[in-house]
Amino acid sequence: MLIHLPIAQIAVDPLIIAAIGTGVGFLSGLFGVGGGFLLTPLLIFYGVPPAVAVSTQANQVMATSISGASSHWADGAVDVRLGSLMLAGGLAGSLIGVGVFSLLRYFGVVDATISVLYIVFLGVIGGLMAWESVGALRGGGGGDPGRRTRMRAWMRGLPLKRRFPRSGLYISIIPPLGIGFFVGLLAAVLGVGGGFILAPAMVYILGVPTRVMVGTSLFQIIFLTAFVTFLQATFNGTVDLVLALLLMVGGVIGARAGAAAGRKLKAAQLRLLLALVVLAMAGRLVYELYVEPKPPYRLEEQT
Amino acid sequence: MRLSALLCAAALLLSGAAMAQAPDKSMPPQIAAGLAETTVEVKVNYSGARIVLFAASPDGEDDTVGFAVALIGPSAPYKVIHRTPSGSEERFSFVSAPSVFAIGAEPQVAESTPPEVMIEAGLNAAAAAMPNPSDLMAPDLETWRAALVDLKMEEGLYSLDETTIERLEGGLRRARIILPPNAPPGDYKVRAVAFRNGQRIGETEQKLTLVRGGMDATLFDLSKQHGFIYGLLAVLLGFIVGGIAAWVGRR
Repeated sequence: MLIHLPIAQIAVDPLIIAAIGTGVGFLSGLFGVGGGFLLTPLLIFYGVPPAVAVSTQANQVMATSISGASSHWADGAVDVRLGSLMLAGGLAGSLIGVGVFSLLRYFGVVDATISVLYIVFLGVIGGLMAWESVGALRGGGGGDPGRRTRMRAWMRGLPLKRRFPRSGLYISIIPPLGIGFFVGLLAAVLGVGGGFILAPAMVYILGVPTRVMVGTSLFQIIFLTAFVTFLQATFNGTVDLVLALLLMVGGVIGARAGAAAGRKLKAAQLRLLLALVVLAMAGRLVYELYVEPKPPYRLEEQT
Repeated sequence: MRLSALLCAAALLLSGAAMAQAPDKSMPPQIAAGLAETTVEVKVNYSGARIVLFAASPDGEDDTVGFAVALIGPSAPYKVIHRTPSGSEERFSFVSAPSVFAIGAEPQVAESTPPEVMIEAGLNAAAAAMPNPSDLMAPDLETWRAALVDLKMEEGLYSLDETTIERLEGGLRRARIILPPNAPPGDYKVRAVAFRNGQRIGETEQKLTLVRGGMDATLFDLSKQHGFIYGLLAVLLGFIVGGIAAWVGRR
C-alpha cells in the first residue's frame, strides 16, 4: 500500500518510512543526537524532494527527542539548567548563523565552505572521540573522561560560576553559552541540528557525565527543532505533516529502544559508537565530494 | 527564355497549390475520441493513475493507419544547469515545458513517421520545451532540450515507452497512459494523432484535470494559505506524538 504525501507530492510506502524513522530514532535515543544528519540523506535517497526532507526531519527529530529525553528524565539524567543555557546560546548563534549563511551565499562560496566545514568537524570530533574512548576502554575504566583535564583548566578561571547539580559541575556560564552559540551558528550554516557537535563538546569541554549529556542534549534539541519546524512550515511550507507523522511513529519507538540499549552499555562504549557514526558520516561526505561521479546536468523548476 | 518562364510559372503554381494544402496538413480532421474519466482526484491513497483514452480510426480497419497518444501536463518554466569539467556552471532557461509528458505509438507510426512530423503533431517531448525567444537559434539548444528530457525522465515525469495502445474491433483504439504519482495537479491534455505512411490523417485533444481532494487538499491548502497555523500544527503534532510515546514508555 502506498500513501500520497501532500507537500512532497510523491507516493511512499508507509512501512519503509516508519522503518527509516525507527532506525534513526534508535540512534537518537542511544547517543543523544537528533539524527537529522542521517535522516535527511536517507529521505532524499528514498525520493523525497530535498527541501521537504530537510524541513520535515526537524519535525520528526523533535518528537523522538521528546520521547528520548523523557526516558532520560525519568532516570534523572537531564540537566535542565545547563540545557537551557546552551539553548539560549544556540538560538542566538542560529540567528547570527543565518546572516553568515547569507554572506557566504552572496560571495558564492556556500557549498564549498559547508562541505569543508562538515568534513573537518566530523573528522576531528569523531577521530578524537574514538581515540579517547578506545583508550578509556583499554585502560579498563570505560567511564567518563577525567574531570580535571588540561583542556578544562582554562575554564576554572572564568567568572559567573554557577552550580549544575545534575551534572555535578561548578563552572562559569560562559562556556555553555559559548558552546550553544557556536553549535547554533554551525547548525544554521550547515543545516543540521548540531547534536553531533554538541554531544562531544559537553563531555570533553564542560565535563558533563556521558549519561547526563545524552538527556540534556535531547532536551535542548526539542526546542531547537520546534523552532526550526515552525519557521520552515510557516515561511517555506515545506514540512509534510503526513511524512512527519509516519517518521514520528517509527522514531519514537526507536528512540525508546535506543535509550534502553544505552543503559546496557558503558559510557566509553557509547562514545566509541557515536564516534564511529560520526566518522562514517565524514567518510560518506568525502566519498560524495571527491569520489562519487556527479551528474553533469541538474534541473531547477522556476517559481 | 519562354521555356524558363513556363517552368517558373509551373513552379509558382505548384508551390501555390502546396501552400493551399498547408492548412489541411497542419490541421487534420478531428477524430472521435473520449477519456474514460476526465477528472482524477489526488487523495492520500493516490499512487498514480491509469488514464484510458478511446479513439476511433478515421479509416476503420485499415492496417496502414497507426496511432500515437501523448499525455501532456501543465507547463512550467525550468532551468537546466550544466556542470562543466572545470567545475563552473552553465545555465539554460526554458520559459515553458510540460511538467509531464507520456507518449506511446503503434509500431507502424514509430517506423514510418519522420521526427519533424511528430514535432508538427505536438508529440515530441524535447520540442515542447520552449526557450527564450533569443535562444531559439542557439547552436546547443537540442543538447539542452535532450538534457531536460533526460532529467524529467529520471524524475519519472516523462515517459517515452510506458503508454500502450490496443487495437479493438472496427479500428477503435484503447490507449492506457500512466499518470505518475508525483504529477502536479492542474489541467492536462491527452493528444491522439492518427498517421498513415508518415502523414497525419486525423487528431483529437481531450482535457483531463488532476485535482487535490480530501485530506491531501486540506493540508496543502493550509500550508500555502495559512502558514502560521500550519506551523503551529506541525509543532503541536511533534509534541503530541512525542508526549504520547513518553507517556506509554513510562507505563
